[in-house]
Amino acid sequence: MPLGLYVSVPFCRSKCTYCNFASGVNSQSIFDRYIDRLCCDLQSADHFASGIGGTFDRTIDSIYFGGGTPTILEISQFERLFVTISQNFQVAADAEITIECAPGTLDDSRLDVLQRCGVNRISLGVQSFVDREAASVARLHNRTTVLDDIRRLRAAGISNINVDLIAGLPHQTSASWEFSVSETLATQVPHVSVYMLEVDADSRLGRELIAGGTKYHAHFVPDDDLIADLYEMACDRLVAADILQYEISNFVRPGFKSRQNLKYWTRQPYLGFGVDAHSMLLSASAPAEAVRFSAPDSLDQYLAGRDARITPVSRASALEESFFLGLRLNQGVDLVEIESQYGSDDVRRFSQVIAHFTHAGLLSRESNVLRLTRRGRLLSNEVFQGFISGSNESQAAEVAL
Amino acid sequence: MKSSHIRNFSVIAHIDHGKSTLADRLLELTGSLTAREMQAQVLDSMDLERERGITIKAHAVRMAYTAQDGELYQLNLIDTPGHVDFSYEVSRSLASCEGALLVVDASQGVEAQTLANAYLAINNRLEIIPVINKIDLPSADVARTKEMIEGAVGLDASGAVLISAKTGQGVPDVLEAIVKRVPPPKGDPENQLQALIFDSWFDPYRGVIVLVRVFQGRLRKGGKIRLMSNGRVFDLETLGVLTPKPVEIEELVAGEVGFIIANIKNVADTKIGDTITDEANPAIEPLPGFEELKPMVFAGLYTVDAHEHTQLREALDKLRLNDSSFFFEPESSTALGFGFRCGFLGLLHMEIIQERLEREFNLELITTAPGVRYQITKTDGQVIEVDNPSRWPNPSEIAKIEEPVILATILTNEEYVGGILALVEEKRGKQKSFEYVSANRVMLQYELPLNEIVLDFYDRLKSVSRGYASLDYHLSGSWESPMVKLDILVAGEPVDALSIIVHREFAYERGKSLVSKMRALIPRQMFEVPIQASIGAKIIARETVAAMRKNVLAKCYGGDISRKRKLLEKQKEGKKRMKRIGRVDIPQEAFLAVLKVGEGE
Repeated sequence: MPLGLYVSVPFCRSKCTYCNFASGVNSQSIFDRYIDRLCCDLQSADHFASGIGGTFDRTIDSIYFGGGTPTILEISQFERLFVTISQNFQVAADAEITIECAPGTLDDSRLDVLQRCGVNRISLGVQSFVDREAASVARLHNRTTVLDDIRRLRAAGISNINVDLIAGLPHQTSASWEFSVSETLATQVPHVSVYMLEVDADSRLGRELIAGGTKYHAHFVPDDDLIADLYEMACDRLVAADILQYEISNFVRPGFKSRQNLKYWTRQPYLGFGVDAHSMLLSASAPAEAVRFSAPDSLDQYLAGRDARITPVSRASALEESFFLGLRLNQGVDLVEIESQYGSDDVRRFSQVIAHFTHAGLLSRESNVLRLTRRGRLLSNEVFQGFISGSNESQAAEVAL
Repeated sequence: MKSSHIRNFSVIAHIDHGKSTLADRLLELTGSLTAREMQAQVLDSMDLERERGITIKAHAVRMAYTAQDGELYQLNLIDTPGHVDFSYEVSRSLASCEGALLVVDASQGVEAQTLANAYLAINNRLEIIPVINKIDLPSADVARTKEMIEGAVGLDASGAVLISAKTGQGVPDVLEAIVKRVPPPKGDPENQLQALIFDSWFDPYRGVIVLVRVFQGRLRKGGKIRLMSNGRVFDLETLGVLTPKPVEIEELVAGEVGFIIANIKNVADTKIGDTITDEANPAIEPLPGFEELKPMVFAGLYTVDAHEHTQLREALDKLRLNDSSFFFEPESSTALGFGFRCGFLGLLHMEIIQERLEREFNLELITTAPGVRYQITKTDGQVIEVDNPSRWPNPSEIAKIEEPVILATILTNEEYVGGILALVEEKRGKQKSFEYVSANRVMLQYELPLNEIVLDFYDRLKSVSRGYASLDYHLSGSWESPMVKLDILVAGEPVDALSIIVHREFAYERGKSLVSKMRALIPRQMFEVPIQASIGAKIIARETVAAMRKNVLAKCYGGDISRKRKLLEKQKEGKKRMKRIGRVDIPQEAFLAVLKVGEGE
């Protein structure tokens, strides 16, 4: 099975208030050290994988540069990365190579180099076409920047473009959201991601919202019900424009599904490199088992060479994952297929949960295929909880290692 | 000592009016240890005290005083507890005296607590000596204070002793006044023994220690004594007085005060107000005024952590060793699990017990809304007492409900009277009197249902008077009232811990407020959750917790599956900690918040 590669670039020019990733604003001087470490990891991936009982195919059909803001790197740094990747892996001729890009950060020379390196897909972190909303969360671009970027990308021959939108930004209203969605449709990009503002203690805006304060425009964040409305409105508008939903947050014209992201939901192997990068490899010895691991989530620890955190995925865990990841996709989970992988006895243990959520209208079942309903998507965490065992079990597994 | 040279007295004062400072001065002047020196000494000689095994509780101190007439007198200062919840104990302490010092702060004037205890002293026919304290303060107003003593208490204040307990000014006059004005105790050492128990406590080394006042006859070491209320007989092992250091003596005779130790294991055997007599030569009758203390305020106590239930039982058992006036029995609630129904003398008593359980036994508690005990006459003529909403009979079986009523005395400044009157009227009060006790000081007496007092009366009174009102009350009887049981239903299921007994006219307001509080506290579920308040089958208030719209992770996280799993696990764990009522998961904090905030708005 071909492999996906993820490369994390945890640097930004400014940190967005909603950001809960391990990214930050750092001086250029640290970039080279970071690339050194990345290259080192890329070279030793093979050795590392076998050391923890994982296995992978050297052929890669997808590379994803995520951030942070990957386009912040220098041309020479990109070149080093691509050279190292191609020296250590077999990049398929038709590989999907995506780079996340903050609007306005991709100048012509960088674009040129990236294209020569094989980048053929761009994901634009637009979030909103309303300038005031973008500015309120410390995005550095405006609507014009975005439209300009899309025009330049197309002129350069890149049409596989994704636009990210966030429902739930400060100052957002139904009307302003409608505007952002319409503008997105008007660009005719083939892929749209609709995220919803996540409130947790890992972002400044999240902390402020939890505290009930007014910093970062927190008091202008729409309430949960409105965010749900906005999400459903976007679903309706996109689908009506033949940009079909294939995952809770992802919408696409036929033929443009993100290969990289599908790997996550369908449990295909991927290797992540860099700060807080995550990997999953299938077990070398036991079918249906796997191993997940992640690099340190702070830049300092990563540069200091701290060990990865390793979580073996037992057969039982893998089955749970098949449900709570697979159900995110509109194609749903094929019960017959899962039974053939895990055995019918184990799969049937979920019959009651399936019946419960089907009865509650959050799941629907058509012959062998189980899917989230429209309402079920918005309440998917409630459904997924039914498919996971308690935390004790997975903690015990981590300790045992 | 001859009874003509004995004076038994207590000090009546409001908190902060200088009772303990005055007591200290009296001890100093009579050459006894002061309370403070005592503490230091006791600390120094801790081991010794332990060997002797007496915990010090200087609630009756004997002082020797040589008066201006050259004679040596025995003065017994008998302490009184300061709070309305313990008014029976106060009354027994006062019954042990012939006189009382009424200490009033010259800048504050008479407060309700002082007044209540002064009336108790008058009823006990005590000689009351007004003492005006803090005359050294610039804000002292002696003339106005005298006016208030005369107006509110009805005492002649012309002979008031003017002092500053702080500087010692005037304190010797207090001693002289005690000797001259407090009558000596009556009683004959040769009569059959009658000794009044006015305090008792449990000492882990020596068992129960009892403070007594001998009215007739004599208590002798080694004798056999009998407690007249329960007929129990004990060997009198040790007899003593507190100076305030414990000093053993051979006998206590009529008129004297002291402590006894008689190998008594259970403090419940030595009820305050009981009479001790001689087993061999018993008195025919006990001293008057003995009452079994009855709890007046009731609430359910539960541990936040269900696993601490056993610890709670053990803690309650231990506390009861030293306090026989509260009772408890197991009860269970669907919402809160296993707990105890507890009865207390009053709200303060309840708070004290709660605090001791939390502090001394390290328990985290949930207390259900406090209530009172109702007397219900059923349609079949049967009369029952109900203090637990869960035992409230079906309304169709109720012929008559009587609720306990208190007589409240409130002293305040004129400017707050309006607000207070509105409050007592709202609380279903009936006015008994309205008097100016001085130019701008008003004394109100109201009959009020105890039920309304336990709810939020103190806090409300404090806020309408900005703290310038004092309250005292005692149980005065009962009256008939149309009380109803108000239930709170979540998704159609009654939540037993939230049921309350309430006057029919207030049911709607209370129901509405409880329902709206619950609505704010119950997290949204996957379905709509109606929250209702009902009386019997009739719904009187309703709100709805809308169904949850979204709980979703709409982000990719570069393949970070552990993060997703952890979030799901956390949410799942969170649900396990909730209490399930029917189909609805309710966080325990919701009960806590409703029960705590419950009142007061």
